[in-house]
Amino acid sequence: MLPATAAALAVLAALLAWPVPVLLARARWPRRDPLVALVCWQAIGLAGGLSIIGALLVHGLAPWGHSLPEAWWHWITRHPAEAPVRGDHWVTQTLAAVLAAELLGVLLLSWLRTARTRRRHRDLLELVVQPAAVPDARLLDHPAPVAFCIPGAKPLLVLSSGMVAELDDGQLAAVVAHERAHLREHHHLLLLPFVAWEAALPVLPAAARAHAAVRALVEMRADDVALGSLTGAAPRRTLAQAIVVAAGGAGGAGVPDGALAVTGSALGARVTRLIDPPSPLPGWARVAALLSAGLLLLLPTALLLLPAL
Amino acid sequence: MASLGELERAVMDRLWSADGAVSAAELRDGLADRGLALTTVHTVLTRLEQKGFVVHDDARPRRFRPRATREEHAAELMHEVLGSAGDRQAVLARFVGSVDADEARLLRELLAAPGPDADR
Repeated sequence: MLPATAAALAVLAALLAWPVPVLLARARWPRRDPLVALVCWQAIGLAGGLSIIGALLVHGLAPWGHSLPEAWWHWITRHPAEAPVRGDHWVTQTLAAVLAAELLGVLLLSWLRTARTRRRHRDLLELVVQPAAVPDARLLDHPAPVAFCIPGAKPLLVLSSGMVAELDDGQLAAVVAHERAHLREHHHLLLLPFVAWEAALPVLPAAARAHAAVRALVEMRADDVALGSLTGAAPRRTLAQAIVVAAGGAGGAGVPDGALAVTGSALGARVTRLIDPPSPLPGWARVAALLSAGLLLLLPTALLLLPAL
Repeated sequence: MASLGELERAVMDRLWSADGAVSAAELRDGLADRGLALTTVHTVLTRLEQKGFVVHDDARPRRFRPRATREEHAAELMHEVLGSAGDRQAVLARFVGSVDADEARLLRELLAAPGPDADR
């Protein structure tokens, strides 16, 4: 029987489903070190999924053994249960299977749908864009100031003619460096689980909050990487100016806009952070945050694999 | 040898600049400087049809025309990139999202403050 293990996993799952993401989304330190915060978010997502499915599985398989691997093996090999099997064991087994299938299925679906949309965008783009003055970038003839990239095996970096017209050379270089940072660090992969799980668990408000936080952090991280490669006199101001020009123009060109509040406030934080940079996180704090992320992953794994308490 | 993608673009440019539908042979002649075989032109046209950029009629020989203008393609793309309807994850890294007038003004005010690079 594994009651203590199941209970511990359930408590962990509850913490990771609500208070922990809320606290991290509210915290001030992530903007001081977006990369460390992104690692923490990935750990929260992974550990949360692991502990909720694990809690259900451990309870559902409890009659079959003293540890999850043992119980699992007995269950798979149709070994008779060592303790009486009640209805709640079957219910939690089923719930575990459904939840695991949903989380993984949505992740896979989201991946496939995204890949298809990207391919179509790429097909369209290859016909309508011209090579831009910036190496590796393409120019799309449109008045709205827009820059974006399509990740993938052959990534595509696109600038609109409106963007090129409104920015000076330094600002344009900052935009390109920012987009290249997204591509080089594969930020779309960091976002994918949060996009998928927000779709899978619309009842969980923390899922939407986590997605928004990770999206904002990815932008800040790309800003940081871009700053490292810019050579101008005042790179922070240059990048901030590019952001403000792009934001102002996009709003005024009668462009359909989505998720105003979210992108809006995140954009404010981005510009503030560039103009008035917070002091970087001290080394000990970085180590502590990364250790916590590691422990967060280790805890449910250990609970799942070790014999029952 | 030019890449297929580049050939597709050249063929689309021809179709876009032509008046009305064009046959494959006319396209080959129009692109004579590339020395293309007729089968190559057909391959490119088939790919473009599969991608939904080109349609053909039932005349003999078949004549091809673009499904939409270049501007319409660009507008469709921008609509997806800028709009909220499309899969926001697909085009991950739009440099900044759209903001309303108030937010834009707030951002400009932030920028008006003394800079961080100045005091270094």
